[in-house]
Amino acid sequence: MSRDPEPRSDALQRRDFIKASAMAAAAAIAGGTSFALPILADEPASGVDWQKAPCRFCGTGCHVQVGVQEGKVVAIAGDRNAEVNKGLLCVKGYHVGAALYGKDRLTKPLLREGDNYREISWEEAIRTIADRIQAEPNRFAFYGSGQWTIPEGYAAQKFMKGGLSNNHIDPNARLCMASAVTGFLATYGVDEPAGCYDDLDACDVLIMWGNNPAEMHPVLFSRVIDRRSRGEKVTLIDIGTRRTRTTEACQHYLEMKGHGDLAIANGIAHLLIKNGTYSQKFVDSFCSFKAPDDANPNLHGKTISFDEYKSLLEPYTPEHVESLSGVPAEQIRMLADLFGNPKLKITSLWCMGMNQHTRGTAINTMVHGIHLLSGHFGTPGNAPTSLTGQPSACGTVREVGTLSHALPGGMVVADAEHRKMAEDIWRVPPGRINGTAGHHTVKMWESFCTPTSQGGDIGTIWVQVTNPGQTLPNLNKLFNPKGDNKAGLEDKFLIVSDVYPTATTRLADLILPSAMWVEKNGMVGNSERRTQQWFKMVDPPGEARDDCWQTIAVAYELHKRGIEGMKDRDGQFLFEVRNADGAAVPIWDWEHYYDTNVDEHLFEEYRKFSRFKHKDLAPYGEYVKARGLRWPVVETNGQWRETHFRFAEGFDPYVAAGKEIQFYHSSTHDDRAQIWFHPWIAPAEVPDQDYPFMLCTGRVLEHWHSGSMTRRIPELSRAMPGAYAELHPEDAATHGLRNGDRVKMESRRGSLVIPVWIDGRGKPPRGTVFVPFFDETLLINDLTLDAVDPFSKQPDYKKAAVRISKVPS
Amino acid sequence: MIASLVATLDKDIADLSEIVSRISCIPGVELSDAKAVTHRFPVMIDSPDPDSLEEITRRLQQIPGVAFVDVVFVHFEDESDSVPVTPSGKPTCL
Repeated sequence: MSRDPEPRSDALQRRDFIKASAMAAAAAIAGGTSFALPILADEPASGVDWQKAPCRFCGTGCHVQVGVQEGKVVAIAGDRNAEVNKGLLCVKGYHVGAALYGKDRLTKPLLREGDNYREISWEEAIRTIADRIQAEPNRFAFYGSGQWTIPEGYAAQKFMKGGLSNNHIDPNARLCMASAVTGFLATYGVDEPAGCYDDLDACDVLIMWGNNPAEMHPVLFSRVIDRRSRGEKVTLIDIGTRRTRTTEACQHYLEMKGHGDLAIANGIAHLLIKNGTYSQKFVDSFCSFKAPDDANPNLHGKTISFDEYKSLLEPYTPEHVESLSGVPAEQIRMLADLFGNPKLKITSLWCMGMNQHTRGTAINTMVHGIHLLSGHFGTPGNAPTSLTGQPSACGTVREVGTLSHALPGGMVVADAEHRKMAEDIWRVPPGRINGTAGHHTVKMWESFCTPTSQGGDIGTIWVQVTNPGQTLPNLNKLFNPKGDNKAGLEDKFLIVSDVYPTATTRLADLILPSAMWVEKNGMVGNSERRTQQWFKMVDPPGEARDDCWQTIAVAYELHKRGIEGMKDRDGQFLFEVRNADGAAVPIWDWEHYYDTNVDEHLFEEYRKFSRFKHKDLAPYGEYVKARGLRWPVVETNGQWRETHFRFAEGFDPYVAAGKEIQFYHSSTHDDRAQIWFHPWIAPAEVPDQDYPFMLCTGRVLEHWHSGSMTRRIPELSRAMPGAYAELHPEDAATHGLRNGDRVKMESRRGSLVIPVWIDGRGKPPRGTVFVPFFDETLLINDLTLDAVDPFSKQPDYKKAAVRISKVPS
Repeated sequence: MIASLVATLDKDIADLSEIVSRISCIPGVELSDAKAVTHRFPVMIDSPDPDSLEEITRRLQQIPGVAFVDVVFVHFEDESDSVPVTPSGKPTCL
């Protein structure tokens, strides 16, 4: 007699379902099947609601599927519908949901009273900020980041420049990609890459310039490695100052000294011309030449002839380049031969190595220049492409323009016509926007940490979505002056909106609890010009609220007090939102903030700016449907079409027929890009007898930037619990050091005690040490240098002279 | 914790069945019924805790012939302890 099986419990059934979903997701990715996720959403029995969102962390812009049940994020899956990641995620990405649930989330506004904090109401918090701004509107500064969503950054931008006539707004992206911006502007007259991630699928050669995508952008890197696993021939070249996980996957590793990249780029250009292997057709048709104007230093330099360019490159023979860079002459020839081969498709990638550089603008332009000179530009697989580290460094900082000199859409405050266009869109009175750039990041914090009596003209800073107390360089000067240097700062006031306690909140006078990621609506823009959207899925904890709401609530408080700047031309509130019936929605009141989609209102207004520099954005609803769209997004026959490759006929709708390549924002107004010569110049600080080591700082796979989120994810924190100093084994032996020993590391600016890791993940050459910056208990930025690039104002975190000594156990 | 991965195999694998056998021997690992006709292999892991998950993933990565492992899905509903981030107690300037 047969017997029915025991009924399985609901929990077991559910577990079985989850396992089946997990396997189905993996099978879909592995098999490359034509059906697409969300297969997960099609199963009502699971009780899990799946929605799309871009990952919270880096600038790659992977899409995840977020599984929500009973008001909590319970699962994360890669999104196979997403072109960026095709269903894959890195170790940080698949733990991203847990970033919401650290046990020390900030949940109430806190006001400092002496050494303690008092819980206060949001009303009191908003009044406190408004009091500070009202008292000294010109001494107020807003410090944001590339983690601001597009609407958040846009609201902050409008509040400051269109409301307070105050340009002291700058983002932490100044610290990570400002030199990429100036590099694009100096070369093409307009910011952001021409290529996209599709180049990774098409290139024959991938050159990484001071870049470690195996750890920092692992999904992009695995896209290339995957091609090789399938038997395709892809040559990977790592040009860097230490061996990394990226190096392990590369056929060629070119180990250079700091600033060696300047010499290498010149060496390649020298050989291309000497060997006659540059693309004369491309150069003659589409390029001009530039050199620095030493008499009048400016971003656009002076025009030179091809012969002058050739003459300036004469000294950069492979042997001379070897002496400057440390890279053998044969490897310089190898690079030149690759660039000299028109049959190859070559993509260059870079990120912090070229940007955190006191000649960052120069090296950015020079790598663009090699691609232009050799004609490796404008076809799939041929592209110079900078990557970003934050989810919206491009979307918010570069496109919304939350920089102290910028306006949305690539416009600048210094240009009267641009100001007028912005004032018209914002409907603020003519003359409202100040024509003088505000303080860039380093200047802003230096001024904040300088007593008012000594000229420190910033009195209050409001920080949103970033952690400058850990990430600014030379912290003992720019954030946390020591000893007598902190006297006279009693009148300064620091406001910090964040989700967790950080090195920054520790010094804050007012702490505001923020909603994060899928606790709010959002839009971001990734490294390949892709604008992405998601909806709020869960409530933030306690009294945490959206950063955008916080900005609008302060603006409204000032509006209530009659501050003129908070009104538009018609006397209406700057952030007036009306519903479909024409009735005003009180979005400054948290209870009503989600009565309407504030993101959509702000985005539709911001979108008007996107036309000025041909960075056209589609209506909000198009992004709801898509896993992101790459601008310019142009409507053709009723369809919104994204652009894969800019400036190239057949891809870019703004290139005129028959032009092939058209740099339509050329700084020389002739549709030409600029090929730059810059001389090799030594780093701002080099090792000497007193400080014999070169310190390089950076990131690790497991942690995202300052670690304020990833260190609260147990799996990631266990995998990489604390910072360390990587040393070469021979340097370690010289100092009598073994793995785990502690050293005192000192620079001219600060010191810390840190354990050493010899032959660890990264392998620095002799005379170099590497320390990651994710660990807030070991602030390596106490030691780093605050020297900046003259044009981008971006500091160099990769080259500071230090000394080490063993700390007795 | 339940997770799924895609193991990418080296392109010049001599004996696929040997790799399959080695993967199958790892406790908590389930292979897809689908045959690995490509160089990518779906794997599901049911582990009692995050440490075990990491250990299993590490073992997978160490199998000769496995080029690398990508995680596709993680279900982390089960509570895990939060890691406190210890402040360094630096002096304040304000």
